[in-house]
Amino acid sequence: MHATEIITTIFDLFPFALGGSIIAAILCSHIGVYVVSKRIVFFGAALTQIAVAGIAFAHLPFVGLNPAIGSALFTTLAAILLSQILRNPRIPRDAVLGVSFVVAIALRILMIQKSPAAEASEIETLSKGDILFVTSEQFLLLAGAFIVVMAIFIFFRKEFLFVSYDPETAQTQGFNSRWWELFFFVTAGIAISVATRIVGDVFVLGFLTIPPVAAIAAAKRVRHIFGIALLLSLLPPIIGMYGAFALDLPAGPTMVAAAFLLLVLGWGGRRLRSAFASEN
Amino acid sequence: MTNEPKSIDLLRFENVTAGYGKRPIVTGVSFSIARGEFLGIVGPNGSGKTTLLRTLLGILHPKEGRIEFPSTHPDVPVMGYVPQRDTIDLLLPFTTAEVVMMGRYRRIGLGRRAQQKDMQAIDCALEQVGMESFSGKQFRDLSGGQKQRTLIARALASEPEILILDEPTNGMDIASRQTLLELIQSLHASGALTVVMVSHLLGDVANCAQRIALIDGGHFTVGASAEILNETNLSQIYGTPIAVTILNGKTIISAGGPNARH
Repeated sequence: MHATEIITTIFDLFPFALGGSIIAAILCSHIGVYVVSKRIVFFGAALTQIAVAGIAFAHLPFVGLNPAIGSALFTTLAAILLSQILRNPRIPRDAVLGVSFVVAIALRILMIQKSPAAEASEIETLSKGDILFVTSEQFLLLAGAFIVVMAIFIFFRKEFLFVSYDPETAQTQGFNSRWWELFFFVTAGIAISVATRIVGDVFVLGFLTIPPVAAIAAAKRVRHIFGIALLLSLLPPIIGMYGAFALDLPAGPTMVAAAFLLLVLGWGGRRLRSAFASEN
Repeated sequence: MTNEPKSIDLLRFENVTAGYGKRPIVTGVSFSIARGEFLGIVGPNGSGKTTLLRTLLGILHPKEGRIEFPSTHPDVPVMGYVPQRDTIDLLLPFTTAEVVMMGRYRRIGLGRRAQQKDMQAIDCALEQVGMESFSGKQFRDLSGGQKQRTLIARALASEPEILILDEPTNGMDIASRQTLLELIQSLHASGALTVVMVSHLLGDVANCAQRIALIDGGHFTVGASAEILNETNLSQIYGTPIAVTILNGKTIISAGGPNARH
């Protein structure tokens, strides 16, 4: 297949997959800036697994829920629970997140094991990241979640940043850190749940971490971090989709690999530039 | 109806027990802080200074007793809190001005952006602590003393009625420590600002505060500096001989007792 044919096919046959993956990438990388700066990357990892477990739970024969509702229910409950447990100074944060991650994976395997064969295979496909067949309904749901969650994060940016940066002083300034943390966890949880249902857990976790890490490392100002993270989320879905077609690979992991490639190229470029600068 | 004059007490602790969960750390705390006063809180490590501070700040609720704010009742006075600088996460590249701006967030309001008056307030706060030329520098690149000044500026930007400092001179070299203590004293003297300073460095508190609160073994005593920080009291509390000397009007407190100086 020629390059032009691939591009035409993507735009003609899979516009929702391409548009959905770009929207999901921007959403995840914006939330990811907070996740990385709060040093709770495992929170993202655990919630993606819990979202998949929620989808599998919804498919169980005796449950019969809409998978989107199952996923949102599981992640919201987990987000509320985690936001409370993570405040306990006696338990290390990384230990809590590690336990929740491994329990979420176990739960997910158990739920899939008990799901009917057809649904189990659909969930496994989702996990592998075959995101080509995103429907218009799924795209609209994702776009709706994008608008609401981004509006919340932009409107309350200074409050979320203050509570993340220095929760104790924020509390003394009249910002109830407990409620702001809960608000953050639940909003991020809902976004992760919707995105995981549509683009898969590998994609979501990849974009929750790779663009924010690159942006935090590169930015000289906090406001630039969000802009760099946004730019770094636009290209990988396009490159990844093209690569997936050209090389017959699953789209989700290819997009994550493209994001990682950009991270490595950016890091290599900076190293080279500083090496040349020190020689001159 | 009588027009009672407003009390000059900014806050009053009445038989307060403070602690975490079901565990009380300090019990029977009763004292008041008058407007414009400088109170020092001292005590050995683990004595409950931070617990008491967190209760004063409203982060912890008293397990027993109550805290009143007679002069601002029913509102809580605006508290400018200066945390220990090593509790601040340095991952994000906030500028000095952005850190100080956080002190304005409550006044700016939820979801709103800073206005011209907020910009002027942060310029003024940075000038008060002598950090105006560092406003565009990244906070994480500042020295320990500069970071502490920035955190004081952030507290001042909130236009506080009471400035609360937690171990402000911890880990500083002698020159930075002296400069910072002079800054705190001048802020107190110039603006009728009420100051509460917690420190395990007895000399720092003895030379700045008008009254001292000493916490030890869950008990709490308040009084004048000479009354609280005397050799008998301190030697008993710290379990080692401690010498208190007045030199050129400054109180010098050293471990080892009077014989250790010879």
